[in-house]
Amino acid sequence: MIAPSSHNRSSSERVYRLFLYIYPARFRRAYGHQMAQTFRDCCRMARQQAGTKGLLDLWVHTLYDLVVTASTEQISAGLSLLKQFFGLEKEYTMSNYGLNLDVALRTDIGRKRQLNEDAMISTVPQDPQVMQKKGALFVVADGMGGHTKGDRASEMAVNTVRQVYYQDTSDDLAASLQHAIQHANQVIYQDNAANFQQAEELVKHGMGTTCVAAVLQADKVYVANAGDSLAYVIRSGQVKQIAQNHSWVAEQVRTGAMTEEEAKAQGKNNMITRCLGIHADLDVYVTSEQVQDGDVLVLCTDGLHTLISEDELRTIVEQYGPQESVQQLVERANENGGPDNITAVVVRVSLEDTV
Amino acid sequence: MKPVERDPESLLPLTPAVFHILLALADNERHGYGIMQEISRRTDGKLRMGPGTLYGSIKRMLADGLIEKSGERPDPALDDERRHYYRLTDFGQRVVRAEAQRLAQLVNVARAKQLLPGPELAGGVS
Repeated sequence: MIAPSSHNRSSSERVYRLFLYIYPARFRRAYGHQMAQTFRDCCRMARQQAGTKGLLDLWVHTLYDLVVTASTEQISAGLSLLKQFFGLEKEYTMSNYGLNLDVALRTDIGRKRQLNEDAMISTVPQDPQVMQKKGALFVVADGMGGHTKGDRASEMAVNTVRQVYYQDTSDDLAASLQHAIQHANQVIYQDNAANFQQAEELVKHGMGTTCVAAVLQADKVYVANAGDSLAYVIRSGQVKQIAQNHSWVAEQVRTGAMTEEEAKAQGKNNMITRCLGIHADLDVYVTSEQVQDGDVLVLCTDGLHTLISEDELRTIVEQYGPQESVQQLVERANENGGPDNITAVVVRVSLEDTV
Repeated sequence: MKPVERDPESLLPLTPAVFHILLALADNERHGYGIMQEISRRTDGKLRMGPGTLYGSIKRMLADGLIEKSGERPDPALDDERRHYYRLTDFGQRVVRAEAQRLAQLVNVARAKQLLPGPELAGGVS
């Protein structure tokens, strides 16, 4: 792991972000990010003009503003709830959330490999009805098998997931996503089975791939994965891993069998416990989570997440827009040796509260 | 949209925060901090608006159709982080004009009662 790089967030801003929790959740989701951004600008200006005294002065003023406006917003949120209760106001439907996505994707061969076996796709439906019902889909896959077509496996995974996901008309998006990955597993497995009659041979020489898929719809993100390609949400200075790491090491740590250090000492660092294409059935991890305005979703292969720390990841996506971020992330992984293919998808979420 | 058909007068008088934000946006689209700076500049630093007051007002003004989001992009003068920009809607334009007229009439009354020494100081010191 690499030491965290310089922090671009002052302690004042961190404290202010904590204070934002006294506002109603809906208000915080819509404006929290912008408020923290504005506060940071004010801090910079206050420090420039009057140093520590300026900063203190700003804090006094801001605390007063915080208390007064948070009470106003809490009262208004309470009144709105009351009105809903008496049927005077309708619950805001999901469609009222204007979901704006800023997306960037990048894949790189790295410095040691002969072939890029990673694959990635991003689909943001143009049709508002499809967007409202199924949302936007992002998939990253890391193929393996080297000489035996790992690149084909990852390509098949991302394309099948996309096709199956959007054909499925179910409203249960988590199940829909899980099913799409299971289906991709079937497709790759069938292909392997046609080439290798013996099950042992298939396991040894067949092509396989990891897969992580994320859907952003309304104010939620759904994530499904198998293998060690992962997804993260970066929000208010925190990095949260939202996919399950099916690497052998992570599995030992999760089940409590070994500590991370013990597991890493076993020399099975690049073994994974789940992947697509090798068995007829596949257990796919799936989860979902509320998204907030300003959240950044990151999907990546192990060629990235094993080479940079979570702190570095956070610093980069907070500092740069998605385009610049994917470039920086790939560069950083290459600077650290680039032993594997590197793939990153960065999506910045803006939720417009159109109430 | 409904608010466009509404009578601008129905929103008057505006709260000082809303009026200042409308004035700040009258000549240019701005992001949150840009609005704060403009207000501070126009009032010689006398009016300092906190982020809570600013975004609470922005929320209500968006709902009332006075302003709208005009995009999201970095401000090269500050840093490379993306910022939400806001601008006046046509309705917002009419409302800020109506409010300015209402205040001008009040100032005329004050002047008639000799509370203000001369036109050059109108709207001056608070």
